[in-house]
Amino acid sequence: MRTRIALIAALAAGLASGGAYAADGKTVFGSTCVACHGSGIAGAPKLGDAAAWGPRIKTGIPALYNSALNGKAAMPARGGNPSLSDADVKAAVDYMVGSVAGGVRQQGAAAPAKPAEVRPAEKKSAPATAADGRSVYHGTCSGCHTDGKEGSPVLGDRTFWIPRIKAGKDALYASANKGKGKMPPRGGNNALSEADLKAAVDYMVLQAIQSSQTAAAVPAPAAPAAEANTFNRLLRAAGKRNLPPADDGIHDAANDGTHLLQPPAQAFTVFPKSTAGNGVNWVESLSQKKIAPRYDRKDPAAAPVVMDLNIVREVKGSMPDVVYPHKQHTEWLDCSNCHPAIFIPQKGANQISMASIILGQKCGVCHGKVAFPVSECRLCHSKKKETAVSQAGTGK
Amino acid sequence: MPERFFKGIRATALAAAAGIALALAVAGADDARAEYGDVVINNFSDAAGMRPVVFPHWFHRIRFRCKVCHADLGFKFQAGGNQINMVKIIDGEFCGACHNGEIAWSVENCNLCHSAKPGTPTQVHESTVQRLVAPGGVQPAPARK
Repeated sequence: MRTRIALIAALAAGLASGGAYAADGKTVFGSTCVACHGSGIAGAPKLGDAAAWGPRIKTGIPALYNSALNGKAAMPARGGNPSLSDADVKAAVDYMVGSVAGGVRQQGAAAPAKPAEVRPAEKKSAPATAADGRSVYHGTCSGCHTDGKEGSPVLGDRTFWIPRIKAGKDALYASANKGKGKMPPRGGNNALSEADLKAAVDYMVLQAIQSSQTAAAVPAPAAPAAEANTFNRLLRAAGKRNLPPADDGIHDAANDGTHLLQPPAQAFTVFPKSTAGNGVNWVESLSQKKIAPRYDRKDPAAAPVVMDLNIVREVKGSMPDVVYPHKQHTEWLDCSNCHPAIFIPQKGANQISMASIILGQKCGVCHGKVAFPVSECRLCHSKKKETAVSQAGTGK
Repeated sequence: MPERFFKGIRATALAAAAGIALALAVAGADDARAEYGDVVINNFSDAAGMRPVVFPHWFHRIRFRCKVCHADLGFKFQAGGNQINMVKIIDGEFCGACHNGEIAWSVENCNLCHSAKPGTPTQVHESTVQRLVAPGGVQPAPARK
């Protein structure tokens, strides 16, 4: 049954584009990976073994993909089966990761004991300069440098790193580039550029310096100061908005169709900006005629029936009253979209609260999902309360 | 053997459902940086061995007003609430009203819609509720003891 589904899916995908779609990581696992990962020979993490997979999953799924595709330690590239496509290999990795996903989280909750010096650095997003080095590290170097395999210096081990940092980074760059002792040239990954390599060395150096700063502290808080006090810690960095589909975390980069989709940033360049949502002020884009969305599926000439009527809703508390403009809404929508299912078309008949909006009801049916979100308070709460001002005046 | 193992793990995961579900949601939001309003529809896709569908609201609102889909074509304002399937689309309902090779490209381009990572749940990406779980879409620093 399962194979039949896989067959049909593969057939459909093949018909559509000729692209290879690995429908079933389990099948790939069963045909190739099981040789080692089924029983755990040659140091291979065994399917379903949360303890073995946990640290590997922590280094990130891309790193696992990379190891599976290019090989790592005893693991041959593509598990020794060159006929597997990239998508096949990734599906198999996903399957193996999926086999332990629940268990690893549980284990993490039960026993959070891990060396403190590695942990904060791994968990937190590094500053922009270190970001590349970090991903290179996790893609390649971490194979040995995380746990000191083959006598390699462990990330953040100051007794090794500090004397060598003092000797100059050029020597470290050279060792990384040409290899040293059991360290293969470029960490055994010839795909790495000089810059990648240096970034990875820089990242390791930074970790050593930071761990020496925090080494005295108890195995507890104290995130590296450089990262702890950054601006807008929880906000999304500017470079992380409007990403091309292949990088947005939702689309599957292994899908050929993903790469044909338009990157949003390309479409948005000419639109008026906003600080919320997509970063586009859609109402302005329409009124400035930067976009000409059809009002009818087929007829480009059909024009909306615009109703220019403002509804003022007096609100409790200190917030300005809400002005609801029918005009902007009827530019986009039909009366039947809101009336009567969401709003009873009668003044005072609708109970609306911010709580219900945030939970996706009333205005929240669109605002907070596709229309501007609730962070833009003053776009709705726009009418100053005269009473509030005069009361404040008489109070003094 | 692996099958049984897998099931066992799944059972333990279910036992700690609430906490893990939250952790997964947060972790998922961490690396997902799709557009505000992108809708993932996974009513039937995963079960049928296809990637889930990503519907980009931004792309469509550049070309059509809300009214066209949400009034004329009868799309409900709810992610996954329309029970769309390929038969309906081929018969000209829902997406098929335009994706018919006349107004927009036709249904043989499976991978243009079915483009989400397998296993992505039905959602409106970046919706307020999703952001309340993980402010800024970034994973909050784990609680340290």
